[in-house]
Amino acid sequence: MSGIVRGNVGFNDLKIPGMWSRKIGKDLYEVFIGPQHPGSGHMRIIIRIDGDIIVEAEPDMGYVHRTMEKLSEGRAWIKAIPLFERMAIHDACNVTLPYVRAVEKLLGIEAPLRAKYLRVLLCEINRIAAFLYGFGIFGVFLGHSTMYMWPFGDREVWVELAEWLTGARLTHTYPVFGGVRRDVPEGFTDSLRKAIRYMRRRLEDYRKIFVDNPVIRARLEDVGVIPRNLAIELGITGPNLRASGVRYDVRKNHPYEVYDELDFEIPVFQEGDAYARVHQRVQEILQSLRILEQVADWLDKHPREPVMHERFWKTAPPLYKKIFQETGRVKLGAVMAIMKIPQGKAYERGETARGEISYYVESDGGNKPYRIRIHSASARNALVYKYIVPGHRVMDLPAIYGSIDYFPPEADR
Amino acid sequence: MPVEFAEKTVPPGRGIFKRFKGNIEAIAIGVKYFFDPKRSTLIYPKEYIKLRENYRGFIVLNAKKCINCGSCARICPAAAMKLIRRPYTDPKTGKTRMKLWPVINYNRCIFCGYCVDVCPTEALHHVNYHDVVFDNMEEMDQTLESFQQAPEHPTAKEGIPVRYIIDEEKGLVKVRVEGGEQ
Repeated sequence: MSGIVRGNVGFNDLKIPGMWSRKIGKDLYEVFIGPQHPGSGHMRIIIRIDGDIIVEAEPDMGYVHRTMEKLSEGRAWIKAIPLFERMAIHDACNVTLPYVRAVEKLLGIEAPLRAKYLRVLLCEINRIAAFLYGFGIFGVFLGHSTMYMWPFGDREVWVELAEWLTGARLTHTYPVFGGVRRDVPEGFTDSLRKAIRYMRRRLEDYRKIFVDNPVIRARLEDVGVIPRNLAIELGITGPNLRASGVRYDVRKNHPYEVYDELDFEIPVFQEGDAYARVHQRVQEILQSLRILEQVADWLDKHPREPVMHERFWKTAPPLYKKIFQETGRVKLGAVMAIMKIPQGKAYERGETARGEISYYVESDGGNKPYRIRIHSASARNALVYKYIVPGHRVMDLPAIYGSIDYFPPEADR
Repeated sequence: MPVEFAEKTVPPGRGIFKRFKGNIEAIAIGVKYFFDPKRSTLIYPKEYIKLRENYRGFIVLNAKKCINCGSCARICPAAAMKLIRRPYTDPKTGKTRMKLWPVINYNRCIFCGYCVDVCPTEALHHVNYHDVVFDNMEEMDQTLESFQQAPEHPTAKEGIPVRYIIDEEKGLVKVRVEGGEQ
């Protein structure tokens, strides 16, 4: 990207693969980065450059908009879960959980305790996998191809665990109204503990080759600083917000499921630059591992018990209960497909790997949602490009983009 | 439990000694993994992953158990499962009448497994593989006959079944497992 303005270029004939640019004034060029995959997805950033300095940046969202909110209005309640997963497939449980909880709120039910622990289990597995995915993208942005390969390889450990638990690598469709769809299989918690110990060891390797690497430090320190007041003003969320020194995490401020029973802490950094955001994510992975250890201990101590709410499990035929005891698979009642949700409005939020996601769910008493409004984490984080990118060199744009861990399909919905 | 936030700071690293140490550490870890690489590449199709029994792969109908309730078609989020009308002869009474049978269209299926979980008599089940070859798109739209038999699994015929297990030192370790048709 640094080669864009090098040399004596003519009007409108700047040829850069995947990018399009034009001259818009004296010493002022407009460069279109994207929307064909500038990084982790499809989004365009229009930058105006004077020499090598970006004077203006505009995030141009909406390239992968799929009208998910509208699509969900035309289908039964339970069918919206696999749909919303497609927002962020490597963070599927975190993204769909607030929707499930909002509908449970309308139904007036709450999942059994074991189901809550299982939801937290998959949420944290997803969170670690999503952070590692973000690290991989970040590494390749900085030209650090080792940091691309390692996290993607280690993410496979967590994807493997999620597949073992749910039966699918990414689109788990795990939480459903009233509970979850599978109980932990035999030997799962032992493998989980091994994965936790392995990940701790690997984070030390990451520290040596990437986080404490002087080359990476030189590229990230004091780059893309989000001051605390700007972070609050723009409403950015998640690790980016906490790296700017704001003490906010949905898991702690508005605890859901069993997060208030678990012992963990939320790291907060004051610096607010790209390097602090890297450290923030490393610390969050460590805290997720800490949560997973406690969940594994809890699951070992407690025997298998129904993970579906009484309302649906009470009427289950003996075959359903037999299958659950033998394989841990929860059979869904036929009512799930045609279920009517009582009239009302509900609002729920949750903490995904990229920040806070919130659902507003409205029901008119029918078997389809009347209105669902999703406010996703990436949509809130995308705004920040407009304010922090100007003033940096073109070389810093990938560093900022990667450090924000922006995921367009989640933002565009 | 009260809200706990832990104030952290980025470790200092500006000094020349710190930079020197950082460079040496980065090179050392690179050299370490150069000589002791952590490879877990799957040589597909010579090897293939034997997925676990609870994997949500292709779906097979057991027509003997099916009670023609249509729950699977009703819950399908992608409208992949549809009901078709076929004559059915009752073995006890010998009478023939029309009944609705589920068939699946793999052009649309998203493998969420709702249909299998909602089936009241376990007439549907998943097979634990997903690498199935279809010659054309018409073939993916299953008929009642093809839906009743497990799809052909070509890699199992020539490949070696392996599985990845999680190891504390190496992460994913590839081990050979029993099975396969070779």
